[in-house]
Amino acid sequence: MQGKCGLFFTSYRGEAQIFPSGFQKTMVGLFLAALCLLPLTLGTHMISIMNLIFISVIGAVSLNLLTGVCGQISLGHGAFIGVGAYAAGQCSLHGVPFPLAILTGGLITAMVGMVFGVPSLRLKGIYLAIATLAAQLVLEYVFLHGGALTGGSNGLLLEPPKIFGFSFDTEMRMYFLLFTFAAASLIMVSNIMRSKYGRAFVSIRDFYLSAEIVGVNLFWYKLIAFGVSSFLAGVAGGLWGHYTGYISAEQFNIGLSISYLAMIIIGGLGSVIGSVFGAVFIVLLPEVLNMLANVLNAFIPDIAQYIVALREGVFGLVLILFLIFEPEGLAHRWRLVKAYWKLYPFAH
Amino acid sequence: MRVGKIITAACIMLLAGLMLFGCGGEEQKPAETANKDASPIKVGGLIDLSGPTSSVGVPYAEGLKGGVKYINDNGGIDGRPLEFNLQDTAYNVQQGLSMYKKMVNTDKVVCIQGYGSAVTEALVRTLAKDKVPDMSASYSAHLTDPKTAPYNFFIAADYSTQARAAIKYFRDAWTEERAPKIAFIYPDHPYGLAPIAGARAYALELGFEVVGEANVSLKAIDATTELLPLKELAPDYCWIGGTTPSTSVILKSAKNIGMDTTFFVNIWGADENLAKLAGEDANGAYSNQAAAVYGQDVPGMKAIMEVTDNVPQMTHYTRGFVSVLVMAEGMKRALANGPLTGESLKTSLETLRDFDPMGLAPLISYFPDDHRPNMAVFLYIIKDGKLTFVKEQILERRADWLGH
Repeated sequence: MQGKCGLFFTSYRGEAQIFPSGFQKTMVGLFLAALCLLPLTLGTHMISIMNLIFISVIGAVSLNLLTGVCGQISLGHGAFIGVGAYAAGQCSLHGVPFPLAILTGGLITAMVGMVFGVPSLRLKGIYLAIATLAAQLVLEYVFLHGGALTGGSNGLLLEPPKIFGFSFDTEMRMYFLLFTFAAASLIMVSNIMRSKYGRAFVSIRDFYLSAEIVGVNLFWYKLIAFGVSSFLAGVAGGLWGHYTGYISAEQFNIGLSISYLAMIIIGGLGSVIGSVFGAVFIVLLPEVLNMLANVLNAFIPDIAQYIVALREGVFGLVLILFLIFEPEGLAHRWRLVKAYWKLYPFAH
Repeated sequence: MRVGKIITAACIMLLAGLMLFGCGGEEQKPAETANKDASPIKVGGLIDLSGPTSSVGVPYAEGLKGGVKYINDNGGIDGRPLEFNLQDTAYNVQQGLSMYKKMVNTDKVVCIQGYGSAVTEALVRTLAKDKVPDMSASYSAHLTDPKTAPYNFFIAADYSTQARAAIKYFRDAWTEERAPKIAFIYPDHPYGLAPIAGARAYALELGFEVVGEANVSLKAIDATTELLPLKELAPDYCWIGGTTPSTSVILKSAKNIGMDTTFFVNIWGADENLAKLAGEDANGAYSNQAAAVYGQDVPGMKAIMEVTDNVPQMTHYTRGFVSVLVMAEGMKRALANGPLTGESLKTSLETLRDFDPMGLAPLISYFPDDHRPNMAVFLYIIKDGKLTFVKEQILERRADWLGH
């Protein structure tokens, strides 16, 4: 544990704390308080972007647990999110209360994820990636041809979430709901990472043979990784479905899976905070490009459509630059920034 | 190390930019569109200018811009110009959703000119909540039912109605004793699947024999494997529900294997590019369209030719143009009755009865309980590489077809 100079622990429990120092606790507390106050100062559009970020954070941290922490590459994450959306949506349509619907959606997705995780015992790397890609294609087919279960090509229409009669039908209300779910997901994954499960995941990622020799049951832990990751993906999907009010097969395509992979690569593989950075980055990238385009549009008419059309190219370029120059992602950069200020002004 | 500093600097700049963006994102008070003054009427455009459907999205967007220019050049709406904010959704739902929220909550647009099915359908619930009409180019039949999509409008007959109208035309023209045979070729995609059930049921109702179906992907480069079983079934008619590139692949493959059938193609599967892609193999194929082709002898074509400086445009352009004309008519009626809001625009659009968009498209009517713009399709046949007008086929407005 890399702590502040002078920070000592007298118990393992003390060392294993998520926020070991008082300063960190205060800062996190202030940050959470600021996030609670933020929507009061923002316009509806900015709140809606924050809402998209919260959903993406849950999806990204779930994929990061599977891919970044346990080393199991998944190209089917978009489809798992879709399973959660449809499952939670169907629950809601059948009168199940919202929290239960989200939970059921997550559990159903966990089961589906574990089924597709079975090949992970035999498959690694690119082979597993292709197996999960198959999951993506199979699930997309099911979404489109699921009849009454998925609404087929017409999709499903959902009402805004309701808890004890209180309807989350405005952006502001959704903000607090999604914020709660995102924070809970981050705490959940952080806790898993410092449990024996987290250590087993890391050992499997780093060298599966050594992990097996020290007694880690590879099949069980890989399945658990798929299960927990898919559960959270299902939660993200359920929230997305209830937030937009409409689910269709086209929303959960391979592009979404790639987008989530990009989030964890840019944010930092195996890092919870990296998942947050990645989600924020990928959600805001098109917004920043739009902003840039609108500013330039004032000087050069019609430039907007050309700049925004560059989005896919910029997305690819950003990914390549990160892989070359910052393979450990924004989380690593954040650690360097913290280290810089810790040592300031004596950098060397 | 230097690279690291550059990345740090870039991140800081990004952060600073976002903070500025955040400050700028403050909500404005409701727009002054309610007042009878000369302030512009804001309209948002959510079109796929990039991404998989951009080849038709770009000419459609040009048509919208042309329509806005035409309206503004002719005095605007009750003296107020249209201010059209066109944005690229790139067929990305999240992107479209975010842009929509900015347009509605910050820019205070009163209407959206939408486009692709992914974004249009993702917005259905949000539109109803925000009370903002979306005039899109996603012609799925379920968007015509106000019970599920109260703020969705479009100016072309839905995919199912188009297919039914063509089927009716072929049935009426059938002279042989035996029942005509029909087959459906479509991609396994929401757009491709949408009209199949309705079209199949109507074909059976009219006494067709439905002999088979085939899936051809929108990205196919050859369709021989899929078409060979269909050739054995010898259909007299084949419906193609794809995009122009996939249709050209189907037509070329059909010619290669010597398939003798009459093809008729859904609205996004045939345009001026089809003959360029499929060459002579496109000749004889029927195209379902909802708007005039460039240069056609209809009253509104003069306006389009003026706006475009006589530079030929694709048929998608005309539909974009018509979409603005219909929206403008709705706005005029809304302003005549009071303040212009999304809600009043919806209500006034629902009063349209046989509105003639200068002959550029079939007559348009919307009803409070039925948003099907019409039950008509323009049938064209490709002759010598050109879309040649055949007939405007009109069906009855059957209640059981609404939404299907």
